This record gives sequence, structure tokens and C-alpha cells, in this order.
Amino acid sequence: MSTDELTRAQHVDLPAEPVRFAERPLVRAAMLLVGLVVVVALPWLIYPPVAMDILAWGLFAISVDLLLGFTGLLSFGHAAFWGASAYATGLVAIHSGLPFPLAVIAGVVVAMLLAVPTGYLAVRRAGIYFAMVTLAFAQMLYFVANQWRSVTGGEDGLQGIQKSFFGLTSIETDPFYFYYAAAPIVLIGVAIAWRVVHSPFGRVLVAVRDNPARARALGYDVDRYKVMAFVISAGVAGLAGGVFAASHGFASLQELSWTTSGKVVLITVLGGIGTFWGGPIGAGVVVLLEDRMASSGFNGVGIVTGTIFIVIVLLFRHGIWGTARDLIARAAAARRRRR
Amino acid sequence: MGALIQYTLQGLAAGGFYALAALGLAVIFGVLGVVNFSHGACYMLGAVGTALLLNELGIGFWAALVIIPVVMFAFGVFIERALVHWLVGLDPLYNFLLTFGLTLVLVDLVKRRYGVSGMPYEPPALLAGRIEVAGVSLSTYQVFAATFSLVVCVLVWLAITRTRVGMIVRAATEDAERTRALGINVGRWVTPVFGFGIALAGLAGVLAAPFRAVTADMGSNFIIILFAVVVIGGLGSIMGAVVAGFLVGLVEAYGQAYVPALSQVLIFVLMAAVILVRPAGLFGREDTA
Amino acid sequence: MTRSTSLALTAGAVGTGLLLAACGGGGPAAGGGALTDDKVVLGVLNDQSGIYKDLSGPNSKVAVEMAIEDYTKKYADKAVAKTIEIVTADHQNKPDIANTKAQEMYDRQKADIILDVPTSSAALAVAGVAKAKKKLHINITAGSTALTGAQCNKYTFHYAYDTWMLAHGTGATITKAGGKKWNLVYPDYAFGQDMQKSFTEEVTKAGGTIGQSIPTPFPNDNFATYITKAAADDPDVIGSMHAGGDLINFVKQFNQSGLKGKTQLAVGLLFITDIHSLGVDQFEGTQFTDSWYWNFDEQNRAFADRFTAKTQTRPTFAHAANYSAAMNYLESVQATGTDDADKIVADLEGKKINDVFLRNGEIRKEDHNVIHDAYLNEVKSKDEVTEEWDLQKVIKTIPAAEAFKPADGSCTM
Repeated sequence: MSTDELTRAQHVDLPAEPVRFAERPLVRAAMLLVGLVVVVALPWLIYPPVAMDILAWGLFAISVDLLLGFTGLLSFGHAAFWGASAYATGLVAIHSGLPFPLAVIAGVVVAMLLAVPTGYLAVRRAGIYFAMVTLAFAQMLYFVANQWRSVTGGEDGLQGIQKSFFGLTSIETDPFYFYYAAAPIVLIGVAIAWRVVHSPFGRVLVAVRDNPARARALGYDVDRYKVMAFVISAGVAGLAGGVFAASHGFASLQELSWTTSGKVVLITVLGGIGTFWGGPIGAGVVVLLEDRMASSGFNGVGIVTGTIFIVIVLLFRHGIWGTARDLIARAAAARRRRR
Repeated sequence: MGALIQYTLQGLAAGGFYALAALGLAVIFGVLGVVNFSHGACYMLGAVGTALLLNELGIGFWAALVIIPVVMFAFGVFIERALVHWLVGLDPLYNFLLTFGLTLVLVDLVKRRYGVSGMPYEPPALLAGRIEVAGVSLSTYQVFAATFSLVVCVLVWLAITRTRVGMIVRAATEDAERTRALGINVGRWVTPVFGFGIALAGLAGVLAAPFRAVTADMGSNFIIILFAVVVIGGLGSIMGAVVAGFLVGLVEAYGQAYVPALSQVLIFVLMAAVILVRPAGLFGREDTA
Repeated sequence: MTRSTSLALTAGAVGTGLLLAACGGGGPAAGGGALTDDKVVLGVLNDQSGIYKDLSGPNSKVAVEMAIEDYTKKYADKAVAKTIEIVTADHQNKPDIANTKAQEMYDRQKADIILDVPTSSAALAVAGVAKAKKKLHINITAGSTALTGAQCNKYTFHYAYDTWMLAHGTGATITKAGGKKWNLVYPDYAFGQDMQKSFTEEVTKAGGTIGQSIPTPFPNDNFATYITKAAADDPDVIGSMHAGGDLINFVKQFNQSGLKGKTQLAVGLLFITDIHSLGVDQFEGTQFTDSWYWNFDEQNRAFADRFTAKTQTRPTFAHAANYSAAMNYLESVQATGTDDADKIVADLEGKKINDVFLRNGEIRKEDHNVIHDAYLNEVKSKDEVTEEWDLQKVIKTIPAAEAFKPADGSCTM
């Protein structure tokens, strides 16, 4: 297959319209409510730091889906933004003692600033090249962080990030209460991403994804849209990374590693590319699975994760949420035919 | 001056592994359009297999040079038939992700069975010493590794340019549609070519076993560098993979010698620069992106 | 969508929720008692699947179980700790995972103490968590002097070895034996930098000189260039400060570089598992400092035989130290009648101990460094090896007072 064919290839076979899971607004509202109930109830059901991880990775996956499912760009270096924000959040928290939400905002800003030049350079290529460039940039950032020991702590990581929150000690020391302080921030991130997708801007992104040449012919500055999508995605990833760092009290090189980039792509695909809500679902599955396996002393995390991944990619390409959506859509169509 | 020659040799020896493996990766990409993330894991399997041959069956390095590529060829055929070929028509993203999942499984399987401490492997007696070349003492093994890799690359190059199969491979790489339209059954060569690519990765692993620690993780960093190599050389270009492989090996060696703090970043800077300035790579054809 | 479908979905969500609740562990944190939760929980946090798996790994739990056995047998009905549990976790040598797991162990699994923790960056993370949670951590398998220096805290103890002990044992000895001109090659991260500093100090104090100090990326598998650089100015000794997989690569490539026999190779940190991994031939004659060897004397051999009966392999220093630390912790619980961290710390400080691991041992009050006799070892040649793990011989015992760095005031608790 030539590189020409490669860049022209029909992208991840996705529908042009963001397929609504259900048509009636009442049903959609009900499902949203269920989702909110789950988010609120989570730390009662699961060890709170793990619940926080699910939210953080879920948001991170949404940011990747924004780029992959809706703009058609696979970033294999998104850990750069998650990690950069984690460090920035940590540094601001440690050196200024500001409440953690403000530190997280600092992290988001850093991530977006990093995304501007990276995006400009990366979007000049498409398909697998784009993925390679993002990977290369993430690797460079990893090595810079490793070398810049005085700031990042290098191998040791950035330790002792306090969860400062206006002096409310229960939130600052108990992960259970911290969850309720941090969850709204994550939800704001989700809302922003949702707004971007369901907006005229989002429709242009989908057009760019499906046929960049046509979009360009219609007068859209494709590259500019791609960069904007990239920067927004980086910001959302940064929001997730900042919250993650505050929750753990710790930022390390692992946050910038290509294995983290790989993990979030895995989560996104597992949940369902282009489904938006697939990310949080995939995150729930992966985080809980890893937690379960770690506690049980099972020595084959990679085998299980890898196999799940292979099965999903081979048989359920649309991921958990995507497949569920397909089944329901098919059932609905069958019902319509019968009427 | 002596040091410079030694660094150059080290670069060429390391580059040899990269070139061989990159050659396999480029061939697989050229004909199937698959970006094989598991290439690093296959390299690792080659090295592990070599160590096992010696430790369990008493079979030495020279035999391993022949046995392992054959075994890995079979393994490659198996992977292609069982997993990869289902997704070949789709966006290359899917096979990229599939082979990523495969890597996780393979690495963990090896870890579970053989642990992580690494398996002992001695270089064969013939290669263990030093030779004097123009007054500079060089490691016999490194000379061998560099030369052997180069010879194999040249042989593969000749096979691709001078044989019918090679011609089909090149044609399929350039334009599979048209090749098929000319009545050539491209499909029947897809599986053997994939197997061949994997065999090359395994061969690189055999070469590496005496020289590097044989651990389950040895392929993890290798694959990332391999991506850099293949991108620098040109994703579809076979000549490019070889030249870039040796080039990256040299950049690594010189980097470590003269600017150690930057040595690891250099390769990625080079990779990013190539993508931005000449996206087809040093030897690839111009493409519109 | 029909009502039935939406009902089904809601039911599914609720069902999932209930399932998760069964997995559990949620809810706000709760308080404790005199023996908190009426039991003593020992946490063993180490590398169960990576490079240090054989060094400590799952067998450290066995060592701690042996200690519990002995404690229970010794005190029978009078035992203060009637219920003793062990919890383990794998930190995969990553400080972020170690950080998370330590928090979980203390909060979720009610651990009163965490033992082991190899890899300096992970160890420092756990020490930080111990300080925040005000619970004990006895570090056994990491080497950083920061644990008893700038990063020391009231709840953390450093038990088996540190980079100063290694540098002093190996560096000073080799220099005094004639290896004056050194070049160091070290991995560029916390542990490596620590080793480089310690070795530079010790070699210089013993009358030697350090020519080049070459940092290498961490991790790395190709050292050929660095070895060539290090050999360029003809040193007497090339010191490698690498550990684990890096060390194996380094030694392999060093031996192939033609320097073997010409330039002496000093290894800063060598574990018996490394020798086993690479084979005695590659390490033959190498001298190194170790904190414990199973085949050293009768007491060690008795422990080793007991350990081998359970695990089919010989114990490393980490296993013996885990046993000793767990035992001494339980003795402290017995003596104070509680598992309250502050009381245990007060009991442990200043204690002098002699057991299978600690010979002439003392838990220093100023910096919580547990000093004891150390040993200078040499790797055996193939014909000297009597069984699979009989890979080294002790040449010299370094008395406790000499083996460890005197408290220098860098630790303020």
C-alpha cells in the first residue's frame, strides 16, 4: 500500500452524524441522569482514589476521542499534555500553595501553550505520520523532563503535591471528600468537550475527518481547524492530568511516557471511537480491571489487557459503547420496519 | 582518532540491528500497509529464542542464525493469518492498535514464563575476541554484526530488485490496485511477505543476543527507535529503512560520545525534522499529505 | 427508544453499581483503636514482576511469614499481636505506583508498617506517604542515602544498605589495594548520582583520583561508546554504578571490549541475583560490598535451609532483612503492647540488635539508619561454586561503626 493510498484511506468507519444513542430527548436526559448518579455514588462503591482515577482517565480519553473520533487524527503522544499539566499543576501547588483548582488551571494553560507549536507542526501531515510526529514530540518532552531534574525531580518524580482547598481539612486529607471537590472540575471538562463536539465547529471537524479535500474546497482552512481541535484536546487532557496529579499528590515521568499515550488510546478504542461517552466507560473498565488484578496478585496484566484489546479491535471495532449503540440502532430499525 | 573509529564501529553494529529490523518493518508496511507495532516484540522473541536454543537444547549461535528466522517466519505467517489479515483493508490505525495489543500479550507471556532478570547468553568463541584493523583494536563481534547485517540487507535488496517476487513486492508497494489490474495475484504474496518481515526482526534479535541483555522488555524501547528509523528513511522505502537504520545507529553512538545529555533526544529531533521538511523520508517518494 | 429499553438500561446501571459495591472499599476513612483494628497488618511492597523480582519479590512475603511464625511460637498465649496479617503489592519500580500502593496499604488495607520497597525513587515516595500518614516504613532494598539524610522522617527507617556503605566498602578497599586512578560510569538518575557522589568521596579520601565521571541514560542497553570513553585515558579501575538490567548489559559489553583483565572493573551495586543472571564467568573475581550472604556462617545457613524448604531457592540479603525487620517490629509491638506508630518508634530508636541479619546492629536515633556489620565479597570462580546459589565468598567483615556513614546532621526530623 502506497503512502498515497494510506492518506486517502477511509478513516475509522464512522458515521458522519454523531449518532445519537436515543432519539427522544426524555430518554437522553434520563441517561444523563443515570450517569450523574453513578459519578456521585462512585466513591461509596469504589476506593475513592481509584474512583478519581476513573474520572481522570475518562476525561483524558474524551480528549483523545475529540481528536481521533471527531477530527480523524490519532495522537500517539497525548501523554505530553497530560504529563506536562501534571507537572505544572504540581509545581504551582507546591510553590504557591494555591487551592488545587487554580493549580489545575495553570496546568491546562501550560498544556495548551505546548499544543500550539506542536499542533502547527504536526497537522502538516496526516494519518500515521501525524501519529509519529506526536510520538516524537512526546518523547522529546519526556527526555527534557528527565534531564531537567532540578524542576521535575527526574526519576524521583515531583512529590508532595498538596491538595490545598481553602483550608477545608476534610477535603485536603481525605480522598473521599477530595473526590467531591475534584469531580465538578472533571465534569466541567466533559461539558466543554461535549459543547465543542455538538457545535458548528464540531461539525466542521467531522467534515475534515471524512474528507479534508472537500472541506478545503468548501473554503474551510483545514489546517487551522485541526490545530484548534488539537489545542482544545490538549487543554482537556491537561485538565485531566492536573486533577490526576492533585489526587495522587505526585507527578512522575510515567505521566509523559509513550506507554501512557498507548494506554489512553487503548481506553478510547475500548470504549468506542467517536462515541464521546465511550471514553469514560473504557476508563472504568481498564482502571477497575488493573486495580482488581493488582490486588489479586495476578501476574499477567499485559496478557489480559492485550487480549481484550486484540478482541475489541478484531471483533468489536466500535468499542463497548459503539457496539451497544449499533445494537440498539439495529433493534430500533427492525422495530420501525415491523410497524 | 582510534576512539572515533571505535565509535563509528559501535554505531554501525547497533545500526545493523536497526537496519535489519527496519527492513522487515518497511517491507510489511509497503506491501500490507500495516504498521507493525509488534516488531519490537518479535525482535525480543528472536533474542529469547536464541538464548533458549543454547540454554535448553545446547544449540549454538551459528545454528540459531538459521533456525530462528525460520521459526519467526512461521510465527509471522501465523499472526498474519490469524489476526492481521482481517483488518488489512481498513484504516491502518486498526492494525497498528492490534499489533500494539499483541505486543502487550507477547511481552507479558515471556515475563511470566522466563521472568525479567534476563537470560544469560555468551557470544560464540569465534567472535569473542578483538581484531586489529589499521592499528585500532576492535571488537570482533561488532565487526561481525555490522558486516553481517549489511550483507543480509544487500541480499534482500538484490532479491527485491532482481527477482520476480521482488518485483511484485515493489509493484505492490507502489500501487497495489494497478498491480492487481495487471493480473498479478498480489494477495498470495501478502502472507509470506509478512512472515519474511517478522523473520528479519527475529534475525536482528539473534544478532543482539550475545551483545545485549536478553530480557522481556528489550523490544519496548527498540520499537520506538524503529519507528524513528522507518520514518526517517521513508515509510514505504526499503533502501531508506536500511540507510536510516545505520544512520540512526551512528547518530546514537556519536551522540553518546560527544553530547551524552542529548543523545536520546537527537533521534526524535531528527525524526520530527524529517517529517516536517521531507515527509516522504530521505528515500521515499514525494507524497501529498 | 421504548420505555422497556430505558428501564433495562437503568436497571443495568444500578446492577453494575451494586456489583461495584460488592468489590468495594468505598466510603470515608474511619478511626482506630489500641491495637488498631485489633490486628497487626504488615505490608510488603516491592517489585513482583520486574528486575528486582528475584532479589526480594514474592519471596519477601515468605520471609515475613517466617518471622510471624517465630514470633507466634515464641510468645504463644502471651502474644500481644494475636491476629497478624500480611498484605502485598507490586510497585513495578515506579514511584507513582509505589505512592498509590502505599496510600492504599495504609488506608484501605490498614497496614501498620510497610517493608521492603526497592528502587530509590519508589522508596522516597513511600517515605513521604509514611510521613503524611504517620505510619511506619522500614526500607530494606533501596540504596539512597537521602532516606536517612535530607528526606529522612520520624516514621522511616533504613535497614540494610545504602550507597555510602557500598562506596566505602568497595571504593575505599580497592583504592587502598592499589587501584588509584578511577573512571566512573553511572546511570543518570537519583540512585546513580548518589553512587557517583559517594564513590567520588570515598575513593578520594582513600588516596585515589576520579578522572572522568560519565553519565549514561537510564535505562540503557548500549554502553559500548561509554566504555570506550571510560577506557580512553587508561584508568586503573572503571567503576560501574549501574543496577539490574543496565548492569548486566554493561558487564557483558565491558567483557567484550577487551578490557577484561587489563582494567579492573569495580561494580558499585552487585546483587547475588545479578551474578546468577549473568553467570559467574562474566563476574569472576569482581569485588563488591554486600550486607548479608547466606553461606557465611552456621546461623545464616540454618535460616537459608529453612527458607529453601519453603521456596526452593536460596535467600538474598533482602529476604533475610525482611525477616529481621518484621521480627524486630513484632518484638517492639510486644514490648510496647500496641501498634501505635509513635510508641514503636520510641521503642526502636537506639536499640542494639543481634540477629540473623543484623550483626552488631544498632537503630540510630539521629537518622534512623540501622547500622550493622557489612562484608566485602568476591565472586567465586566456576570451580569454587558448590551449588546453584553459592556464587560469592566473604573476604572481609567491615564492622558496623566503620561500614556506615556517621550521622552528619543533614537529617532533621
